[in-house]
Amino acid sequence: MRPENYQAVSLPSSNEYEIFIGPNHPGIEGNYAFKLRLDGDVVISGKADAGYLHRGFEKLMEGRLWIQNLAIVPRICVPDPVPMEVVYSLSVEAISDMEVPERGQWIRVMQLELSRVAAHLFTFGGHAATTGMYTPMFWGVADRDLALDLFEELTGGRVYHIYNIPGGVRRDIPAGFLDRLENYLDYLESRQNDYDNLLFTNQIFVKRARGIGVINKEQALEWGVTGPNLRACGLAFDVRRDDPYLIYDKLDFDIPIIDEGDALARILVRRDELFQSVRILRQIIKHLPSVKGPVRSPIPNPLAWNVPAGESYSRVESSKGELAYYTVSDGGPKPYRVHVRGPSSMHAVQVLENLAVGARIEDVAQIMFSLDACPPEVDR
Amino acid sequence: MNKLENIPVQAKSDKKRTNPLARVFDELIQFCQSRSMFMLHYCTGCGAIELPPAMTSRFDMERLGIQPMVTPRQADILLVTGYVSVKTLKRVLLTYEQMQSPKYVIGICSCTVNGGMYWQSYATAKVLNEYMPVDVYIAGCMPRPEAVIAGLRRLMSNIENGKGDAWKDYYKRYDYYLGNQQHLFGDDWQTPVDVIGEAKFYGLEGEETYGEHTKILEQHQEPLEAQVMRVKL
Repeated sequence: MRPENYQAVSLPSSNEYEIFIGPNHPGIEGNYAFKLRLDGDVVISGKADAGYLHRGFEKLMEGRLWIQNLAIVPRICVPDPVPMEVVYSLSVEAISDMEVPERGQWIRVMQLELSRVAAHLFTFGGHAATTGMYTPMFWGVADRDLALDLFEELTGGRVYHIYNIPGGVRRDIPAGFLDRLENYLDYLESRQNDYDNLLFTNQIFVKRARGIGVINKEQALEWGVTGPNLRACGLAFDVRRDDPYLIYDKLDFDIPIIDEGDALARILVRRDELFQSVRILRQIIKHLPSVKGPVRSPIPNPLAWNVPAGESYSRVESSKGELAYYTVSDGGPKPYRVHVRGPSSMHAVQVLENLAVGARIEDVAQIMFSLDACPPEVDR
Repeated sequence: MNKLENIPVQAKSDKKRTNPLARVFDELIQFCQSRSMFMLHYCTGCGAIELPPAMTSRFDMERLGIQPMVTPRQADILLVTGYVSVKTLKRVLLTYEQMQSPKYVIGICSCTVNGGMYWQSYATAKVLNEYMPVDVYIAGCMPRPEAVIAGLRRLMSNIENGKGDAWKDYYKRYDYYLGNQQHLFGDDWQTPVDVIGEAKFYGLEGEETYGEHTKILEQHQEPLEAQVMRVKL
């Protein structure tokens, strides 16, 4: 509407006003908007405005073959695509009673953990940038790129891999891949001290992030918080340990917990998780050469593949939280219904709306990044 | 006092100026323009994930003189990174019309070319250059940072050779673009920017600037002079 055609509405005088953050805003992660009602610089209420990235995924998947859906599922969550492929494959395998060979399961876990490392490195940078520190962003993106190089060697794609299929993974790992993975892990551990000095124990950052956006245990359970955000509230729940899938029950790892529940606790939990992932990857490097056998079990002709009728609920732990697919098959060549339970839709909508109340306007972006929500996954 | 219409605007003619000194000056200006571009990346979709690697130390877009800019009014390039849903496309158009000319649009990812992965989706706009003129497309799902930089270099060489003038097309064929926008958003679609007034001011009116769709626009929007033209000199 042109300003000339705009009729101003007169309201009783007050200190309250409304502003938009986003959708095109440097302090917001992706294409997502947030409408704030402010009194001075204190937020009275916040309203999430999602839908800018809506593509109708659940409907699109009903119109494609089971195997064709593999190409679009990783696009639901862009920074962390591997759990999407794996959980879709797991749900199809559960419906059709398919066994995944053990070597295929090990390779899947290796990808999942490498993807978690990449996603967490990306998050640190984004969170630090909201407080005005840009060096962690440069470092995080540069170190993430080395993980993407490994993915490229393994799968052929930097960001979207489409490497997992129902029944296993597409092909075996290339020769010498585990050595290069180990070099990368050595490099990451050598950077640990630098990262601590730059970000995690840096008083500039710590004073800014402490006490911002506090979630207590009751609220966390009520709002459906999962993943690292839940573990930052002192609740030790991790799908990898409590409902093990693939070969996670054979691996030895800790679940980092911090009790505070604020933005600082959330980023410190992610830092600890990053190095737990490095620990898991080292176990995989040790065990994978001794696991022999095929990496995938045969599937019928994928273009005429009628998955038997049935339904399944499969869940994995992605870097954002608990990710689950509810899949229904009516015995046809296409899924009858697929529902995606993404962690971000809880974090970015109801948790963020509740946490914004009472916060100051400069902290809203930081709260949003500390929850590590992924807008494409909110809208789907 | 001269009327504003009589002041020569460089965009008014497409021909090169004949005076050799003026030509050297124009070429110098074009060279400088292509070497210092501020980029507004509207993160409409997945492609935004390959921009941080392209902007930071590994691929380092800044060595080409390209830097991110936070406001549309100071930006030269609009990067549309990925599929545009209908709700996003409204915001992209508002952003584009606010930018100062000369302005350039780069469509990244296959989704801006022809719909890409989401060709059958009910929620996305499929072809970006039906709604705004696009200078360079970078295809791929998603294009690597090297491809993004190659596309930007293509745009730089276009500007240097005086070919980066897709933005004039928005004024010359405004009726076409407005018609596609109205088809998507409904007949009461309007933006705060007076595109026809700007076209008059720059002397960029074409035969297709006016048409049936601009008539629909005029029904619910009073004709308006460009802001600058109302300033008394």
